[in-house]
Amino acid sequence: MKNMIAKYNKTNILQYFFLIGITWLLFAFLIFPNLNLIVETFTKDGNFTTSAIDRLIKSDRAMRSLRNSFILAVTLSITVNVLGTFIVLISDYFKIKGSKILKIGYSSTLVYGGIALASGYLFVYGDSGVITKILISLFPNLSPHWFEGYGAVTFVMTFALTSYHIIFLSDALKNIDYQTIEAAKSMGASTWSILAKVVLPVLRPNYFAITILIILTGLGATSAPLMIGGESFQTINPMIIRFSKSIASRDIATVLSLVLGLATILILFISKKIESRYNYMSVSKVKTLLIKQKIENPVLNLLIHIIAYFIFAIYIMPILLIFIYSFTDGYTIATGNINIESFTLENYTSLLLQPSSYKPYLTSITYSALAAFIVGSLILVLARYIRSGKSRYRNIIDYALMTPWLLPSTLIAMGLIVTYDTKRLLLFGQVLTGTTIMLLVGYIIIKIPFTLRMTNAALYNVDHSLEEAAQSMGANKFYIFRKIVFPVIRPFILAIFVLNFNSLLADYDLSVLLYHPLYEPLGIVIKNNAESQINPNAQALVLVYSVILMVISTISLVSVYSKQKKVI
Amino acid sequence: MKKVISVVIMLVVLLTASACGQKEGSDKLIIYSNSLTDGRGEWVEEKAKEAGFNVTTVQVGGGDLANRLIAEKNNPVADIVFGLNTMGFETLKKGNILAKHVPVWADNIEEGMNDNDGYYHSLVKQAILLIYSQDLYSEETGPQDWPDLWENPDFHGKYFLFPSLSGGTTRAVISGILVRYLDENGELGVSDEGWEAIKQLYDNGYIAKDGEEFYALLAGGKTPMGQMWSSGLAAREEQYGVKSYYAKPKIGVPYVVEQIGIVEGSSNLEESKRFLDWFGSAEIQGQWADKFYSLPANKEALSSAPEYIRSIDESLSVQEIDWGFVGDHIDQWAEKIELEIMK
Repeated sequence: MKNMIAKYNKTNILQYFFLIGITWLLFAFLIFPNLNLIVETFTKDGNFTTSAIDRLIKSDRAMRSLRNSFILAVTLSITVNVLGTFIVLISDYFKIKGSKILKIGYSSTLVYGGIALASGYLFVYGDSGVITKILISLFPNLSPHWFEGYGAVTFVMTFALTSYHIIFLSDALKNIDYQTIEAAKSMGASTWSILAKVVLPVLRPNYFAITILIILTGLGATSAPLMIGGESFQTINPMIIRFSKSIASRDIATVLSLVLGLATILILFISKKIESRYNYMSVSKVKTLLIKQKIENPVLNLLIHIIAYFIFAIYIMPILLIFIYSFTDGYTIATGNINIESFTLENYTSLLLQPSSYKPYLTSITYSALAAFIVGSLILVLARYIRSGKSRYRNIIDYALMTPWLLPSTLIAMGLIVTYDTKRLLLFGQVLTGTTIMLLVGYIIIKIPFTLRMTNAALYNVDHSLEEAAQSMGANKFYIFRKIVFPVIRPFILAIFVLNFNSLLADYDLSVLLYHPLYEPLGIVIKNNAESQINPNAQALVLVYSVILMVISTISLVSVYSKQKKVI
Repeated sequence: MKKVISVVIMLVVLLTASACGQKEGSDKLIIYSNSLTDGRGEWVEEKAKEAGFNVTTVQVGGGDLANRLIAEKNNPVADIVFGLNTMGFETLKKGNILAKHVPVWADNIEEGMNDNDGYYHSLVKQAILLIYSQDLYSEETGPQDWPDLWENPDFHGKYFLFPSLSGGTTRAVISGILVRYLDENGELGVSDEGWEAIKQLYDNGYIAKDGEEFYALLAGGKTPMGQMWSSGLAAREEQYGVKSYYAKPKIGVPYVVEQIGIVEGSSNLEESKRFLDWFGSAEIQGQWADKFYSLPANKEALSSAPEYIRSIDESLSVQEIDWGFVGDHIDQWAEKIELEIMK
């Protein structure tokens, strides 16, 4: 009896420490810096002011851009889900000839994004793009600027955002209990009704998580509208980023981000309500591997094959052209006139053979790997805690962890700077600005919400009855986690790690404000190269960097996924 | 999993080790500038080494440089900053970022360029030009001053405008137009007529998309006119194989002046002062001008500047602009243009 009390007290004290630690972390890094920034931006000479709102309402352009961001987000939540579902079914559900190669093509957006991706699509469909040239020779009246505006941005971003499906939906699909499909079949259900009534409903939590990410990415769209939107379709985030850098206009940036932030909270709130209504039980306890389904109707089968390969071509063309153009000079890139003489190895040798050129890679890889690892482990612990019971405090933590989605990374960086550029008790008198830790802190913070949502979705796949069984047999919490929970969520956790790592590698917006000047991350070096004033091949060098980044990203993806196969 | 953890531990050690290896009481100088691209950074480091300095240069884009220095105010990393123009240095001065030091060459600078209080001093001046392609226009048929662009329908859609107003050159152009219409009672100190002029400028120009390069469009003839700073001209003409004329307005053209100063809290104050005295000297600025086609603010260095750039300078008059007034308003002007005038 005494023993039991002692044991009870011990866990209780530990729990207290845990809660205090968590509260401090959340307050010191998520709540306080952002709150501090918001208060500072709305105070002028000691008085609270809302002039930002008046200035904004007068602006047609800002209102139009804001509306466009919402239109884009809603459109993408539909188009990306349709395309994403299609490519996942093609690669992992139906029997399709060459599906392995198709999947590699469909996965190409995992290794590049942002500016590189948008320029890749411009190489294909832009003013002097390959497809544009073909189209104009067929229809001489076509404007070379045909690929511009809402449709073009939606097109590019739809293809860009299917990476979430490829990673998270594919894994979840493979975890489906094949016996449920067999059972439905034996009852005479058709391929399509099995898909609609058995397979897709099981994937609902994954769809929720993915759709939230799509909407958020749509709201925050930057590169694609800037480079492809033209005058008719500009979105709000580029304006937020520009204004957040000007002290006089920072309040406008903050107001605009808060509008996007409120929309985000609303979406999260609704989706959590819906989520809690369902009780999921998706994964088989006795695993019967999914067997690929044949499409019986021959006409339909042919049609689906054609569409699958057509979509494959759309995926693969931009990345192929980036690769090809990275071996040419600035003139070729600008005009699209390519011939044998355009090719050169100079871009690569000039970038790779400099003795100092490896340092930014080392810096970025170190920071990104550390941040991805720390955020992954931290969130795994927190997500387990949040799901271990129901209490108001758990809810508060859950929402507090979402705060980095309320503000763009530029403002999060500003928040850290205006808060920790001076000694504060909250950090035990440490000044963060000007240190090498600052960037790491920033990287971790901006990856928290994504990591939490995806980890949560992964934890849905864990069978509670197994945990309970283990518990009743006297297994301790850590043992249960190690032996039962972790093996199930491991592929998801690794996928989250890789996605975080890859997306931080070339970050610019956050890095530019937080990096230590003696340790320049890649994003900064790339930008400095791109803005070179007299180097005629600046654009080619940027492509070379894109290719190198793709190689690093591919290596990290392959190393994680090849390991996984061995385990299974 | 174990492997992952061991890699992470290794990385942590690496990061902390490198964090500790920073300058501690050495005479190493860290220099921030927005003007170190295209080999300038290497050039400075090399020349400084020859002169007995231990220097590390850090290139930071113009828009971010002031923000970074303000952020690091309580824990400064840099010892010296140069390259921002007077408006940028005024921001730094007001934020108490700069330490006072009057370098030995201060008296050789043209009058009215240095800070009167001794916080920053001038290195290079840039004429902000309106250029147009020689392929399509002669000096008679091209625009003579900025208002021609919107007043002459032939030029509509033919001039390149940057999609953002954060660049120093763009801001100088806007200032050069708006200061012609100053009015105490007008919005943000500018008369309605002035705002109408800016509206006409943006309504009738070609606003570029991100990633479009002015010189590529100038050479291709799509937008054969636009803004350029004087020392960037030569390299681009060579690179794109296109010659341009520049407008010589009666009212003059805006000149922006790139400055240098010491960061308050520099751990090597004496060494920083020594560097300033050396870097701004006629000898070094003359070599810099010769190598990078710049127009030195140091009168004694002017003769070392390439003939080409001196002839540009001699053919132009300086537009009278109260940069103090502009500095106080330019952020708000830029905001108004982005919010209400651009489409």
